[in-house]
Amino acid sequence: MMSNRLFKIIAINIIFIWLAVLALLPFIMVVVASFLQQGDENLFNWHLTVINYTQLINPIFLHIFWRSLVVSVITTILCLALGYPFAYILAQLSEKLRLACLFLIIIPFWTSSLIRSYAIITILKTQGLLNQLLLTLHLIHQPLHILYTQYASQVGLVYSLLPFMVLPLYATLEKFDWRLVDAARDLGANRLRAFWQIVVPISAPGIIAGVMLVLLPAMTLFYIPEILGGAKSILLGNLIKNQFLEGQNWPLGSSISIVLTFFMALLIGVYWKFNKNKKQVLI
Amino acid sequence: MNKSLSASYLAFIYVILYLPILVLIVFSFNNSMFSGLWHGATLKWYRELFHDSGLQVIAIHSLIISFLASTVATFIGLLGAVALFKYQFFGKKLLNGVVFIMIVIPDLVLGIAFLILFHALNISLGFWTLLLAHITFCIPFVVVTILSRITGTDKNLFEAAKDLGANDFIVFSKIIVPMLIPGIVAAWLLSFTLSFDDVVISTFVSGPDFQILPLYIFSQVKLGVTPELNALCSVILLLTVVMALIAQMVLKKK
Amino acid sequence: MRYKSLIILLMLIGMAYSQNNVINIYNWSAYTPKSVIKLFTKQTGIHVNYTTYASNEELYEKLKADPSIGYDIIVPSSYFVQRMAKEGMLEKLDLKQLPNLKNINPLLLNKPYDPGNQYSIPYLWGTTSIIVNNKYYDPKTITTWNDLWQQRFYNQLLLNDDMRDVFSIGLAALGYSINTSDPEQIKQAYLKLRQLMPNVKLFSSDGAIPIMLDEDATIGVVYSGDAEQMTKGNKKLRYVYTKSGIIIWIDCMSIPKNAPHLANAYKFINFIMQPKIAKMISMQLGYSSPNITAVHGMPNRIQNNMIMYPPQNILAHGQTEGYLGKATQALYLHYWELLKISG
Repeated sequence: MMSNRLFKIIAINIIFIWLAVLALLPFIMVVVASFLQQGDENLFNWHLTVINYTQLINPIFLHIFWRSLVVSVITTILCLALGYPFAYILAQLSEKLRLACLFLIIIPFWTSSLIRSYAIITILKTQGLLNQLLLTLHLIHQPLHILYTQYASQVGLVYSLLPFMVLPLYATLEKFDWRLVDAARDLGANRLRAFWQIVVPISAPGIIAGVMLVLLPAMTLFYIPEILGGAKSILLGNLIKNQFLEGQNWPLGSSISIVLTFFMALLIGVYWKFNKNKKQVLI
Repeated sequence: MNKSLSASYLAFIYVILYLPILVLIVFSFNNSMFSGLWHGATLKWYRELFHDSGLQVIAIHSLIISFLASTVATFIGLLGAVALFKYQFFGKKLLNGVVFIMIVIPDLVLGIAFLILFHALNISLGFWTLLLAHITFCIPFVVVTILSRITGTDKNLFEAAKDLGANDFIVFSKIIVPMLIPGIVAAWLLSFTLSFDDVVISTFVSGPDFQILPLYIFSQVKLGVTPELNALCSVILLLTVVMALIAQMVLKKK
Repeated sequence: MRYKSLIILLMLIGMAYSQNNVINIYNWSAYTPKSVIKLFTKQTGIHVNYTTYASNEELYEKLKADPSIGYDIIVPSSYFVQRMAKEGMLEKLDLKQLPNLKNINPLLLNKPYDPGNQYSIPYLWGTTSIIVNNKYYDPKTITTWNDLWQQRFYNQLLLNDDMRDVFSIGLAALGYSINTSDPEQIKQAYLKLRQLMPNVKLFSSDGAIPIMLDEDATIGVVYSGDAEQMTKGNKKLRYVYTKSGIIIWIDCMSIPKNAPHLANAYKFINFIMQPKIAKMISMQLGYSSPNITAVHGMPNRIQNNMIMYPPQNILAHGQTEGYLGKATQALYLHYWELLKISG
């Protein structure tokens, strides 16, 4: 019995202490910073203020926030649409193939994401591979101008975040007992219904994890839209970066980050609540 | 689902995933310093690469950091995920919250917060700060991935094992870990990928005498993506793949 | 034989870790050729730790958050020299210890961003101007900054993704100083730049060279060092100096406060200012050297290269970006964000 408590204590304390010192503490510092004034020569003036938050109620910020949200939601939907069938098929393969396929999906991401983005440029550019291919096939007569548009940056985001959707989905679908589907079909459910009512609810934790891992980082990624989109618009990531680096306004940069965090928490909270109710209905 | 349809879908995704990689490898032989169009083949970039001993050191640094960081993060994150799933304890909500915050918080803000923290704790920047930071930003991804796997498993299983006289350590190592292996592998891979590619946080926690690859690449890109950089990435890719294969073979033998 | 190499190895390791014989250089990537670093170590026995940053802001931020971080040499651009000096982040240079300063072009010394060069020594420099692809446009028809606004450049223009660089274009086109702090002038520049947005194909944060080379953009505002590479790679590209005044940038060597190896830092700066070394750096990187003795020792084709060494009369009309204070910086940033949103 003693050793049971010991395990519990060890397991909880290791992660707790680690995250308390290296995650919570920095986060609290950011929170504190968001209530300070911007200093002239030092980084902060030690005067409490809420100006960094009131300042955010302006059309520029709301516009940028909205645009970022739209971009990340589109990215997430595309990742889910591409990733779910993929993880679904993957999970049904034989064990040997499964592991190999899993490695195959992660390998491309062991190269620098920057260099990969530049490789995408090589494909999309005016005289690039895609245009040459389409021109040779006579599918188009003028080269497409995809590069340095929001479409290019969307392509880059989906490409870079896809594994963050696939891996959690795979992790939940892998343990799924496929006999359940057979049973449902035996009971007369058609394929789609069996999928929708059995597979999807069971893989819900994976979907939620995947959505979180894609949606949240997508809100603040800045260099992919910069490189592929031509930096012609500002997303939240750029805004925060600007405040920290260009404007040296750490308090404002901090307050934007905090607002973002709380907004996201709210979003996920609402989703959880909604999801719980739905589950109860199902049961 | 239809078998050939499934296979062609897998193939389709893999083609998309590998197309940029293929381009990258092909262009590492491109006989032009800056152009993104094909100018004939050459091996000179690889020659330059193999003569660059400084770069090799940087690559090794990066592999060490990412390997250690993802392994430690997977271990801590696994314990955390199990604790979050299995136990009720004071501060559980807080722990959940911190994990969530760590995923949402922009890398840049986290990097700067780390920098100030290390300065306040009087830890000089270098290997250790990099490692600590990398472990920390990987942990939440591990927790989320493993939790998504663990949720829905039967808690009674553990109780049954306990009734048979197994203590928690044994339950953990003999039941939980084997059951979670796919989740653990996925989490480790995710961590390694994150760590191996992190520019933003590393920028702020790296010191004067320990350079890592993503930072080198990032600053190098300012001068344009040269075929040498492509060659570097191709070689690194080959290296990691070979290591992954060896690891898999070793695991299989066991 | 074997233990000899072992001893050498041990010595090398010892050198790397002994406190006195190290110098920590924090610099732009590949901004000091490896051959130069090797030569420095060979001549002085000082081991070089060379780490890199990708922007002035990054450098500033890191030094600000951790002043005892331990760098000995940094290479900020002119306006960051001014800012860091103002905020007490740089060591005041003892110019008596830098006899090789005599080699530096006086036209690039004693600039407003650092009067008397108390905190910085020019490392490399260049200009910012217009590059044109003559397959599409006649370079002769582009003579002033205002020409960029012509409708024929719709969705063709490349600009640097740098707030100050972009505003410099707007301000210069209006005939204002690129270092203005007048809110009205800044606003006018913003309105002017808004009209330029339809022409902007992209703001390039890095890698402008392939974009011009492969003709993804056909006209651009770029740094001279990049222009040199571009014109080498694509014979149709021409670098044009505008009549309405050019923009000069200077990257400088400075010593941060609390540098742990001060003596070595002086040795390094002096070493770089040797004509032979300055020539090596400039020739390998394709950027202009401030070292006039070094320039005179270069082949004629380089000395007469208009991109790298513009004639004196053009140079004399150049403006250099300086630091404007936090409030003005914030104002620029505000308009910069508005500009980006409008695009």
